[in-house]
Amino acid sequence: MNRESLLIATLVELADNLVDDYDVIDVLTVLSLRCVEAIDVDAAGVMLASPVGELQFVASSSESMTVLELFQIQANEGPCVDCYRDGLAITNQSLSESDGRWPQFTPLALAQGFRAVHSLPMRLRGRTIGALNLFRTHQGALSDDDVIVAQGLADVATIAILQHRSSIDANTLNAQLSNALNSRVIIEQAKGMICQSTGCDMNDAFNRLRAHARNHNEGLTYLATRVVGKVILPNDLDDWAAPTPA
Amino acid sequence: MRQSSASNVLPIDTPRHSDPRTPRGEGCVNVNAHRLLDIFSLMERFDRDSPDGFALCSVAAEFMALDGAIIALTNKGDALTSLCTSNVAAGALMDLENTLGEGPTMDASRGDAIEDFDLLRTTTTNWSTYRPEAAALGARAVFGYPVRLGAIRFGALTLFRYVPGPLSANQSLDAYLMASVIGRAILTIQAGGSPNRLVGELSSESPLNFRVHQAAGMLAVQASMSVKDALVFLQAHAFGTGCQLTDLAQRVVSRSTCFAPETQEWVDQSAEGGK
Repeated sequence: MNRESLLIATLVELADNLVDDYDVIDVLTVLSLRCVEAIDVDAAGVMLASPVGELQFVASSSESMTVLELFQIQANEGPCVDCYRDGLAITNQSLSESDGRWPQFTPLALAQGFRAVHSLPMRLRGRTIGALNLFRTHQGALSDDDVIVAQGLADVATIAILQHRSSIDANTLNAQLSNALNSRVIIEQAKGMICQSTGCDMNDAFNRLRAHARNHNEGLTYLATRVVGKVILPNDLDDWAAPTPA
Repeated sequence: MRQSSASNVLPIDTPRHSDPRTPRGEGCVNVNAHRLLDIFSLMERFDRDSPDGFALCSVAAEFMALDGAIIALTNKGDALTSLCTSNVAAGALMDLENTLGEGPTMDASRGDAIEDFDLLRTTTTNWSTYRPEAAALGARAVFGYPVRLGAIRFGALTLFRYVPGPLSANQSLDAYLMASVIGRAILTIQAGGSPNRLVGELSSESPLNFRVHQAAGMLAVQASMSVKDALVFLQAHAFGTGCQLTDLAQRVVSRSTCFAPETQEWVDQSAEGGK
């Protein structure tokens, strides 16, 4: 598929997901996965600001602990923090040991094989609510077109947060942000239970949760809540098999 | 109905990465970090009189510049008990909710944040008995916030004032912040953290990260308990061994520390030289 077709397919898929009672984390996960394809990056993720203004991870193209750690460290510093604070995109920031801009973030990202990083602000009415983070394992600039596409996807992510879009006053927005952040915590709690019960790793625990939610047409957060509440046992979740490369 | 919302997509800021800089602080929420310190200094002031978390209501009411606050805890079986109320009116409102079985604290403790900024003019049918009686006690606007950590429900924070009207944008943000501090305070108290050093405990602990939530989930399975009890248990063990909760969580997630149900003891692989 060329890029244009890929983008159209992505937008159709996201539009299809944004129906009543959609799950924010699931939609943002889809968006992160499609970013990886449409912008030719190697990992993508969404961070949102907590009430105190600290960025927290909500969705990613990968649930591996190493990638989650890269988001976690950005509670303190990193491209997302700068992007969020200034409300400005950071693009084509290559990572190197000698650059002291992010003394904690950069070595960790390099150790995981990333060479370049980008961050696009999620903005709404003059307020930045979070950032879309893109990682590349090779250096090389995002084209102007890439940046437009990336910002477009960051805007879609912002729309996804506004679940009840008929009124988006500040109080409603705060409630939606709080719910999205809390949903991610529920999913982490459920991942821990699945991991311990079935012996899988955290990445597979997420995939199993997501596969079951999709198979049974349930919201990811709703399912995770039922796992934590022991309404459904981890071993009763549908099996998940890693997709085999075509 | 979805289709008609297309125009609502417009509020997304159209200026892109090249837009002129917005003045920092205007519309930028991370300036809110100092509000956490404001809460801590209020806690220190109020805690001199009441060192066991019961002053949190007075802190909340003063921090939010509202007329009163209620903090209620969710017990097993979904019942609420009052942890504290900031004044006589707050106490009466909590009693009213317990008597009627409806109101903002009940709803927020089970669901999402809820507000009713004019109890005498609301047209919805919820709290039909609560609203006029709460207004008779003097409250005109009530705001309920869940005190939660993921799927864990600790209870709710309800704030009220004597005049109708919604909260400002900053007040609303402050309310979520206050609710999160209360959640952490309740966790600390339930885990046996020294209550007379609540502010010290809260300000010295690192924020809860994804590993803490994963570890609580793992421990819930290891020890056959609820995730809520597991998180309290985890925090208690961190206090007992003098380590940070996040460090303990990292060891649980990497499986170098676990709880053995047979012996009811913590097993630390690294301490025994195992791998």
